[in-house]
Amino acid sequence: MKNYPIWKSFTVISLVLLGIIFAIPSIIYDENSKNWFLKNKINLGLDLQGGSYLLLEVQLDVLYKEELDNFVDSVRLISRDQAAKIEKIDIQENEVVVFFTNIEKIKDIRDSFFQMYRGVSLQISNNRLSIKLNDEYRKIIQDSAIKQSLEIVRKRIDESGTKEPLIQRSGKKRILLQLPGVKDPERIKDLLGKTAKLTFHIVDNENTSALQNNLAPFGKIIVSDMYDENTKYLLDKRAVVGGENLVDAKGSFDQTEGHAVSFRFDTEGAQKFGKVTTNNIGKNLAVVLDGVVITAPRINSAITGGSGIITGNFNAQEASDLAVLLRAGALPAPLEIVEERSVGAGLGADSIAAGQIAAIIGMVFVCIFMILIYGTFGALANVSLIVNLFIIISLLGTIGATLTLPGIAGIVLTIGMAVDANVLIFERIKEESLKQTKVFHIVKNGFDRAMSTILDANITTLIAAVLLFAFGSGPIRGFSITLSLGVIASMFTALMLTNFLVYMYLSFANKKELTL
Amino acid sequence: MFGLNKIIPVEPNINFLGLRRNFLIFSILAMLISIVLLSIKGLNLGIDFKGGTLIEVSTKNTSIGELREILSSSYSDVSLQEFGNENIILIRLQNKSNQESIETVNSVKNLIQDKVVEFRRSEFVGPTISSELLFRGFQAVSFALIAILIYIWLRFEWQFGFGAVVALTHDVLFTLGLLSILNVEFSLATIAAILTIAGYSINDTVVIFDRVRENLRKYKKLELVDLFNLSVNNTLSRTIMTSLTTLLALVSLFIFGGEVIRPFALTMIIGVIIGTYSSVFIAVPTLLIFKFRPQDEDD
Repeated sequence: MKNYPIWKSFTVISLVLLGIIFAIPSIIYDENSKNWFLKNKINLGLDLQGGSYLLLEVQLDVLYKEELDNFVDSVRLISRDQAAKIEKIDIQENEVVVFFTNIEKIKDIRDSFFQMYRGVSLQISNNRLSIKLNDEYRKIIQDSAIKQSLEIVRKRIDESGTKEPLIQRSGKKRILLQLPGVKDPERIKDLLGKTAKLTFHIVDNENTSALQNNLAPFGKIIVSDMYDENTKYLLDKRAVVGGENLVDAKGSFDQTEGHAVSFRFDTEGAQKFGKVTTNNIGKNLAVVLDGVVITAPRINSAITGGSGIITGNFNAQEASDLAVLLRAGALPAPLEIVEERSVGAGLGADSIAAGQIAAIIGMVFVCIFMILIYGTFGALANVSLIVNLFIIISLLGTIGATLTLPGIAGIVLTIGMAVDANVLIFERIKEESLKQTKVFHIVKNGFDRAMSTILDANITTLIAAVLLFAFGSGPIRGFSITLSLGVIASMFTALMLTNFLVYMYLSFANKKELTL
Repeated sequence: MFGLNKIIPVEPNINFLGLRRNFLIFSILAMLISIVLLSIKGLNLGIDFKGGTLIEVSTKNTSIGELREILSSSYSDVSLQEFGNENIILIRLQNKSNQESIETVNSVKNLIQDKVVEFRRSEFVGPTISSELLFRGFQAVSFALIAILIYIWLRFEWQFGFGAVVALTHDVLFTLGLLSILNVEFSLATIAAILTIAGYSINDTVVIFDRVRENLRKYKKLELVDLFNLSVNNTLSRTIMTSLTTLLALVSLFIFGGEVIRPFALTMIIGVIIGTYSSVFIAVPTLLIFKFRPQDEDD
């Protein structure tokens, strides 16, 4: 062992051992292991273990529109208080323009309005007051909507019994969901497809002409029945109490009414509900869910206990799903599914099997080829190649990376490309052997000369892989991860392990000349 | 010790540069044809970039014809394809809106429920997402090319950077042209393949350039054409070896890696061959445009 530093041998051997040891958890792959060591295994991506990926977009336009409507209502209220007459109101995409018949009160109205909505841009020109939904204001709406949506989505998914879901914000207005093991996401999609905005309104039975003309007066709204579109109700626009005051909801069964949802209000909700039911005995109270009336029973007596039941033509599943939605709370805005990828466990298992076969056969081909071409040196390179594979697996396991199908492709590709560094070294050694005769000189020069080329060549591949990670999405990222790890591992195995093996071989075989 | 590498001479002397005009014409033609193909025929965009719905099912005793009959009575734009073997069928649908496609998946599933053993996967990509993915893919490729060039420019003289750009552009165009002819599905994985090809091709080019630079210092008197030829010959056995081992791994992936990964493997195989070719026959000759030494001015 001529001049081979002990610290170097030690480093190489310990790194190789670490690489092999930490690959063990991923190779054994015990899914439910509690052992701290065996937990360091590769995570399988949804495309390999089966599951659903959903990308949801929060329909912010609905919220902006709602806010503009709020502006209109507030301006009307303020104007009424100030006794100013409104000629007409023009609602555009981003702003509300109010035309007043005279301009005396317009500044006061603007100031009062600004007290209520700080951050909107207000502009007066002649008799016009324009209220603009500016970018800052939109951003506030957007951020709070996404935050709230995330929370509600998380609650709903938890209620559905999905194990280990991943729920996170993606970009400005999207929510990304990964649901391992969920093969058919229809039920989840149903749960997420409803806003579940629940409100209670007093029904106006006196103003019958409004319903006939289908024109709601100020402060009222017309809402259809859930089961019969032609049945309409005229309701107070202002909700008596809403779903945000619910503390619990359960599917229940009532002897006379069938399946129902029983609910309980918090203290504030119970007080409001009690007060309204006390003051409105004899009137009807409509239960409105997502813009339709589920039921509108008559208030026979004051309900002060803070709990009640909602009846409708539910079956058991519908009642319990509605309870889930009410418990989780309402989404601030509807969600739209913009991307979905679901893979069954069968296809996932097939992909893993195919990937393993491709990797093993690719490996065998490359190993045979290397031995055919380089003989003993080829065999040494093969040892490096196999260790390289172990290192990739152990790195994936310890950093908790996710292995995807493209990731497997990256590993197979690495098997082919990893020998490159060895080839570069051997070719240099071959050239050097023509110039010199001292075996160790030849080897040393071969490694030294190949070094800068190996670095240059691998760094370009790394650049491509890193950018792929930055801009890629989902499974493709898995590819860039395995490719990067493969490139890094191959530099180590070639420059250190092959180097070590070649020195060992030459010293033990006591080679006096080198033919390669 | 046995080693077939002795078949390849240590210092081969093949006149690669002598043939440069022929290869240059070939490559220019190939690029032109690729551009024409891409603008007329275009690429076979998968749902990642076109949007739509894809459902993979495995069937029992049902022919693809039967399924087609069932589905085409309800959908005019449905296409079916056997995927790997005759029991696995891929159903593709084009949808206009997000809502529509979610309903489509459900109704397709209901229509063929009793003919199907397993729904292996279903994918849906909405129109906004598909255009975003296309944009991001394009962005990734452009940034990667620029970053690689900056690296080459820092490590070598700018002339080498130019040679690398020409070779890379050639590789990407040529590969896309072949994908268009072969009608290979263009998906997110293809973008990954193209980036990897770019990395691989540059890797190959860098190894040769490295040798050119070394030889420029070593042989101050040698004519540039001869020097380039020598450099290509010096690195020839490495170029061949690495391409072969990479191809071996990729062919294995193509044959055994399963149906889903096959377009990716095919794209990579095409790219590795083109990338190897371009390093030798395009990147190096491009360097001849530049006068690296004062005494070569009459060259």
